[in-house]
Amino acid sequence: MTSSTPVAEPYLSVVAPLYNESENVAPLIEWILEALRDFPRSFEVVLVDDGSRDDTWTKVVNGAAANSQVRGIRLARNAGQTAAMMAGFDHARGQVIVSLDGDLQNDPRDIAALVSRLEEGYDLVCGWRQQRQDKLLLRKVPSWVANRMIRRLTGVPITDNGCSLKAYRRELLDRIPLYAEQHRFIPALSASVGARIAEMPVRHHARRFGESKYGISRTVKVLVDLLTLKMITTFRSRPLLGFLIATALPLTAAVAFGIMWLIALTQFGHDKARAMVFPAAAALSLAAAFYLFMLGLVAEVALSNERESANATPTAWEAR
Amino acid sequence: MTAKGARMQPMETPILPAQRPAEQMISVVVPVVERVDDLTALYRAFAGELKRLGEEFEFLFVFDGGFAPSPELTALAAGSDHIRLHRFAQRFGETAALRLGIERSRGDLLITLPSYFQVLPEGLGPLIAAVSGGAEMAVANRSPRLDSWLNRLQSRAFHQILGNIADTRFHDMACGVRVMRRTVAESLPLYGDMHRFIPALAVREGYKVSEIPVPQHPNDARMRVYGPGVYFRRLLDIATFFFVAKFTEKPLRFFGLVGSVSLAIGGAIGLALIVEKIGGHPISNRPLLLLGVLLVALGVQLIGLGLVGEIIVHLRAPHRRVYRVREQV
Repeated sequence: MTSSTPVAEPYLSVVAPLYNESENVAPLIEWILEALRDFPRSFEVVLVDDGSRDDTWTKVVNGAAANSQVRGIRLARNAGQTAAMMAGFDHARGQVIVSLDGDLQNDPRDIAALVSRLEEGYDLVCGWRQQRQDKLLLRKVPSWVANRMIRRLTGVPITDNGCSLKAYRRELLDRIPLYAEQHRFIPALSASVGARIAEMPVRHHARRFGESKYGISRTVKVLVDLLTLKMITTFRSRPLLGFLIATALPLTAAVAFGIMWLIALTQFGHDKARAMVFPAAAALSLAAAFYLFMLGLVAEVALSNERESANATPTAWEAR
Repeated sequence: MTAKGARMQPMETPILPAQRPAEQMISVVVPVVERVDDLTALYRAFAGELKRLGEEFEFLFVFDGGFAPSPELTALAAGSDHIRLHRFAQRFGETAALRLGIERSRGDLLITLPSYFQVLPEGLGPLIAAVSGGAEMAVANRSPRLDSWLNRLQSRAFHQILGNIADTRFHDMACGVRVMRRTVAESLPLYGDMHRFIPALAVREGYKVSEIPVPQHPNDARMRVYGPGVYFRRLLDIATFFFVAKFTEKPLRFFGLVGSVSLAIGGAIGLALIVEKIGGHPISNRPLLLLGVLLVALGVQLIGLGLVGEIIVHLRAPHRRVYRVREQV
């Protein structure tokens, strides 16, 4: 496969993170190039080696040498899938970016369809894996539960948040705060900045080489991350309010202990010392409420700087 | 007023214009904190070794508050292009001194050197060779150690604990003799007392760090007995490193876990007491109730603290880069 002239400013960037995917690199490149052969506009492929311990990087270098449309980025250490995707996004030069898994489970033949859907006027088009070729109990059931919860909590009606095959507009990626292990929440994060989101069915294949880097423990982490994200997006502009709501719990407890104290006093009459546990518990609860209030103030102070810069560049999606 | 003004101004020699391209020079940064030997002798010994190796070099002495260059060193610096002196107006500590040294130095290769004879000057050669040979940082491992068994035991315990936290095991992080590329030095998160963890920080950033055995200087090997405060601070340093290494991206993972455990125990106690109450026993005289309430309150507070951390990380996310690119094709 001889290379055409190098692409200066491609229209489309295909980003794939790779971690210990040595055997998959060459087929992946070949498959993507094959799938995009009839793509009407210029494109590039950005492969991100996320600190692999095998010879993934050598394969990427070979692929880049053989095809001018292929570029490679090697991270200094294993930074995780989200960070690897971010690295790819940061180095991608296209106006439209498509991400996909480096394990050949996504089908590059769907890329063109995703892009044309995006061009219909969306900022984000998510793939929805049909006939998912993964283990039922370890992958599909946890994923189903997680997706349901993500849908419920974020209110973004995306069926398959875990699918890596997605198409984005560059401007959207510049706006969403992506960090830690949050690539799963890209739809939710995008919705929170006002992006228009679509979902379309894509093909899914069983793994051919290498092994999955996921396990069931991930689902628990995803759920914790989800709750965190929910709380942050709800209260990021007014943390004090969130903490004030949280004080309701210890305040209620304080009142309850106070009432119990009064009841105990009437029961024990002169033996007041026996009922001293209740006022102490009430005082503790009050202290907790006070602490939460203070924490809310700290959060407000911590955010004051950020908010100034946020005012300069509004998070809401305005002009298109 | 003038006297005070003079004290507040760090005494500095003017920054010399670069005479050679920076990539061919070694900058030796000497933070002068705590222990100090005769610095002119130190300079002569190590500069002599660098000259023997045929390297171009500069020495930057950074004096922490309370330390001043001796008249001999000042005279030596005045007559030499190789020495530059910086002085802090107050005590800022070793990490700050290293930072200033790194910022003001010009060489592409940096050597950090303690302000006392810790290793023999002959040790520099192999360290520099290791960095020229592909490593991005080379740290000295004083070997053979001439210290007392007590100090060696302490050191071993320290590295054992740290080795369990960091991915890589080092044997002598207390050794201040390190050679690194300028790019490495500039990308290290140096603040607080993090200078102790420089090799581990570099590994975390994805740099190749090699440990090179270097003969210890006989002067360095004396029995040192520390007060309990030192050990306490060391433990806090390790805790800080642990937290920074594992949870800066996800503070709630840490606070949430500890908070949930507290919440769960507190909740269990509360539940047990409610069962007792229904069973007809009064709980108004049970101090256990207080423990339960305390644990629940503590749990809620810890989770709240973690959430504040998460909010900060979330809002900082657009300005931070969590990866470092090694190469590109």
